[in-house]
Amino acid sequence: MENNYIEKIQIHRKNRIAGLYPSAKGFIVLAYSISTFILGTFHLTDMRLDLLLIPWFFVIPVLCIISGVLAKSMKAMKAVATVSAIIFAAQLFLIPGGKVLWSFGFLKIYVYGLRSAIRLSFLVLDVAGIFVWLFQTTSNKELSRAMEDSGMNYKAAYVFMSSLQMIDILGKNSKSIMNAQRARGVETEGNLIIRAKAFFPSLVPLILGAIIGSEERVLTLEARGFSMQCQKTHLFKLDHSGLEKPAVILSTLITSALLAGRVIWGIMR
Amino acid sequence: MGDYAIECKNVTYTYPLAENPAIQDLSAGFEKGGFYGIIGENGAGKTTLCVILRGFAPDFYKGELTGQVLVEGKTIPEYKTELAAKIGYVFQNPFNQISGVKETVFEEVSYGLENFGVPVDEIEERVINVMQMTDIEELAYKSPFELSGGQMQRVALASVIVLEPDILIIDEPTSQLDPEGTDSVFRIIRELKEKKKTIILVEHKVDLIAEYADEVLVLKNGKLIAQGKPEDILSDMSLPEQGVALPQVAVLGNMLRQKGFPIDRIPITEKQAAEEFQKAMSRRSGRP
Repeated sequence: MENNYIEKIQIHRKNRIAGLYPSAKGFIVLAYSISTFILGTFHLTDMRLDLLLIPWFFVIPVLCIISGVLAKSMKAMKAVATVSAIIFAAQLFLIPGGKVLWSFGFLKIYVYGLRSAIRLSFLVLDVAGIFVWLFQTTSNKELSRAMEDSGMNYKAAYVFMSSLQMIDILGKNSKSIMNAQRARGVETEGNLIIRAKAFFPSLVPLILGAIIGSEERVLTLEARGFSMQCQKTHLFKLDHSGLEKPAVILSTLITSALLAGRVIWGIMR
Repeated sequence: MGDYAIECKNVTYTYPLAENPAIQDLSAGFEKGGFYGIIGENGAGKTTLCVILRGFAPDFYKGELTGQVLVEGKTIPEYKTELAAKIGYVFQNPFNQISGVKETVFEEVSYGLENFGVPVDEIEERVINVMQMTDIEELAYKSPFELSGGQMQRVALASVIVLEPDILIIDEPTSQLDPEGTDSVFRIIRELKEKKKTIILVEHKVDLIAEYADEVLVLKNGKLIAQGKPEDILSDMSLPEQGVALPQVAVLGNMLRQKGFPIDRIPITEKQAAEEFQKAMSRRSGRP
């Protein structure tokens, strides 16, 4: 019999960066995050601004381009950028301290505000951005499979995978509940207060439904031998792109270089 | 004594924090290859009996169980986690029977076999066969969460059937399905019956129980109040007083008999009704 079905559920990525083994991508994410925090300790200019965090962000679009996922990363990146912009604005205008850099009526920008705005918003943008790259180049089942391969307990891998899947399911369920509540006359659209009022009548059935459903799901898993004490089979196999070692070495070198640079910079100052 | 797939001896079970037992002093035997229909009003203890037979109570639900449940002569704790290979269980709600970790129907149906450690080639062969049997082959690459209730229930059935258990406990599989979905589920159950699987089915649709079951058990307030052949149990006109509906043809047959129609036995299936009414009509018109 042809292995048609099993072959079709496999994921073969042509792009060798996107096709890196998930643990190698995880290493890149870790190295990038550590590097971000290292760069966050370079306080430049008289105002001690963490300006290196800004160009460091551009590593992410470059990674997305060479991984061939720039277009599909845009939506998530926009969401991250929006959150980051809100943090930037809030920090910029709400934190007092130091010299006033700009003022217009009651709005004032202080040095401390600018410093905090750059630090926090770009930390969020950089760290969340690298996770966007990870999730755009790695499917849930690749991550879950890699976790099990790395020796993680299959129960923990299940929790991780089902949690990711549940985000979509709960999203769909919440829409159904909202529609049902709307049909019963609950106002769900309008200003913030109206939406807040609709929040609880929608949230309670969503959460209770999920809790009740989880009981049956546990039994369903048991009925399918989830706890069987034997070597489990995996239909889904993970590929290696062959660039894992160079990618890990390069990430390590960059992070080490930044760390060394930070130490030297500290001594020289 | 018959060759029992499952046997209950004086089983009494009380849920945690409950004052009264959900099942009281129940003794029953389920013979190998038999098709058993369990009926009763809501809250009669049908689902509780099923979870006891499968070993979910008291293991998962906790509570207190007295008496003994034997699966092919062995107690449930003796099986440890391997009861899944022996007894398949299909739940009422199709939406909660999706594992939540598989992206396609093919993978969902394969999931149990992966847990059992079945070799890859054998998994594919068995899954294809079951998908054909349950008529879900065209759904193979769809997400399990994008299916209709009827399709999900067929996937849930396929996911259990693929494990090839000797015993199947099916708890109200059609309660949330439309007539078309109900028919497709019962077509699968009929095929399982032909394969001599032991089937224990909880179902409110007594017309279907009448057609398929070898034996019917009636529960009320956690007690087994009647057990026997469908033609004996489902033609008993006192059953509606116990909160159990009778097949429509049985009610009609009884009404006709009361009006003097010469019916030998109360029919419980449409086929029997056609035969009985034809015989009665022939007698009335004086034709043989």
